[in-house]
Amino acid sequence: MATSQPPLRFTGHKNLVHRLVLATLTGRTVHISQIRSSSPTNPGLAPHEISFLRLLESVTNGSEMEISYTGTILVYKPGLITGSAAGHGTSGGFIRHELPAGCTRGVSYFLVPLCLLAPFSKSPMKVTFTGPGVITSATPAGDLSVDSVRTAILPLYNQFGIFNNIELRVLRRSNIGAHGKGGAGEVQLVFGHQVRLPKTLHLLNPGRIKKIRGVAYSVGVAASNNARMIEVARGVLNPLVPDTYIFSDVSSAPLVPAPERNNASAKKKFGLGFGLSLVAESSTGCFFSADVVSPPSGGQPPEDIGKNCAYQLLETIAKGGCVPPAAASTMVTLMTMGSEDVSRLQIGRAVIADENLIQVARDLSKFGAPGWGIRDAAGENEDGDVIISVVGRGIGNVGRKVA
Amino acid sequence: MIGKRKRDKSVVSRSTIEDSSDSPSASTDAAHDVFRRYFEAKFQPLKPQSVQKAEPGEGMDDHLDESVTGSDWDGLSEGEEDEGEDEEDQGVEVEVVDHTASYNTKDDLLDKKARKAFMSAKVPSSVTASRSKATSTKDTEKETKKEEGEDALDVQNLKNDLALQRLLRESHLLDSASDLAPTGKNRHKAIDLRLQALGAKTSIFKQEKMPSAHRLGINAKAAMKEDKRRREAKENGIILEKPTFKSNASDAKRRERGVGGPSIGKFAGGALNLSKRDLARVQGPSRRGRGKGKSRGRR
Repeated sequence: MATSQPPLRFTGHKNLVHRLVLATLTGRTVHISQIRSSSPTNPGLAPHEISFLRLLESVTNGSEMEISYTGTILVYKPGLITGSAAGHGTSGGFIRHELPAGCTRGVSYFLVPLCLLAPFSKSPMKVTFTGPGVITSATPAGDLSVDSVRTAILPLYNQFGIFNNIELRVLRRSNIGAHGKGGAGEVQLVFGHQVRLPKTLHLLNPGRIKKIRGVAYSVGVAASNNARMIEVARGVLNPLVPDTYIFSDVSSAPLVPAPERNNASAKKKFGLGFGLSLVAESSTGCFFSADVVSPPSGGQPPEDIGKNCAYQLLETIAKGGCVPPAAASTMVTLMTMGSEDVSRLQIGRAVIADENLIQVARDLSKFGAPGWGIRDAAGENEDGDVIISVVGRGIGNVGRKVA
Repeated sequence: MIGKRKRDKSVVSRSTIEDSSDSPSASTDAAHDVFRRYFEAKFQPLKPQSVQKAEPGEGMDDHLDESVTGSDWDGLSEGEEDEGEDEEDQGVEVEVVDHTASYNTKDDLLDKKARKAFMSAKVPSSVTASRSKATSTKDTEKETKKEEGEDALDVQNLKNDLALQRLLRESHLLDSASDLAPTGKNRHKAIDLRLQALGAKTSIFKQEKMPSAHRLGINAKAAMKEDKRRREAKENGIILEKPTFKSNASDAKRRERGVGGPSIGKFAGGALNLSKRDLARVQGPSRRGRGKGKSRGRR
């Protein structure tokens, strides 16, 4: 079916990952050109994008991708999403995906799209991310930390009837390495709930924030940093939500081999730093998250990070609606992949006006999804939230159709 | 009103100070102390500027006051007033709550359960989290001890329950003298009852082998009893359940054969004898039956 259709043409490197995910889910071939073609120094695909293509190749069967000589043109012909099927590059049931040292994006850059593919795979999705490029913390590029992915993104799948056997194990933590490149963490994703179609979603009530949880992590630095971040963040949040707990996670820095002239087996510590991840849960099961991390260059006291993170969380909540900007594309994509039924979602005005989400909407319509219906939310709508109605495509899981 | 009282107050205090400057050092200290206490109680929340502002006015009043009244009397009244004022001040002391820095440190002692639930690899679901939160208390040790105690109690209760049930069921076997655990014949009977309760098909006391006449007699007696019951019921106009005829199931069903024997026919005298029926079974349905009208010349 996919072969008969001409490839969809896109330009630019923005939203590349989401386009590739949509291509895989819908089975359409995509042709993406002008990828950083105007950049004189770093034209073409970046290391993390190449890494994501490799990841796609390992979790699917029959994908073909062609990259032009300069890397500015990519043609991707998706295959079936197989997950970690036995005898298909898996060891111990896990696909091992190594990220190169030059990776500047956090591991959530790979995790979030992978989780979008996972419910539609043929067998459970089990991937281990390892190597010198795995950054488990948040990054200045705007990636979430793994804690936020686990506590704010993955619970959203529950609303679509996907909840069994989902785990995200942080085997080793790592912050961003020196010069903002690489980490040396290790993360395992187990996504064992495959469905034919996600359930139709009707999320029209943001509710009230009932609890705030968080993780303060420090890697290779003193644990007092955690305490200081927590102290300040709680100072801001506690008067607003009494049920606020922030847990502290201290780990030693990962060691990476750094051979010297007279010591070939020398190792050095890598990816030091600290950060804070906060998640607010509302009474109706909406999640809002915030992430702030110490910059790789250092020089920011933990108090500032705690305060910034708390304020960022409040800002995210203030945007209103049922989803924060970070989770909006996940929600919308799952809604589109659902059964041929209208699912509704209340979204804050500031969230839907986000450039990213608008791009997602355009991509979706290009992939053949019907347009969204948008209307003002009913009831006491002080924030001016809107309700978007998304019609599902009813494609769902091609692997499940046969099985 | 309040402002006026304040001024009154300050007048008094000022006068004492001037008194104290005349009197010996002990009284100076006391007066100083009183003044300090009063000042702290009264003026700490205010800015130092306002305090200074108030002073010149006081001085003027002070002079006036001194000229009019005796210092001794002043002291007395000052003491009384001062004490009353102090009490009043303590009564309406404003509680200061600082939200910016401190939070309740008691909450900070997190129970390990909540931490474990949240920090595990699993996706934290709100339901389980809230449940664990509900069960978790500040001192988890007490809780666990309590739970252990409850568990033990549960086990004991279950045991007692079972004993009571058995007693109720088997009490007809027991003599009044014997204890709860039956012995001898009664024990066998009790075990039989329990086996039947657990699903045994027949009683272990059912006699399987007996003389034929014996068995026939028993069957006949049972049939006679049943017949009598039905007849009497009919005469009295009572409608009974429909009689169930014992179908001779053993005839209809195939006999249980030994393993390894021939699956068809009868093996006798070193030869397998097949009856006509067996042959028909082996050959399958005849063509004639299937062909219906298309009979050939054979008939």
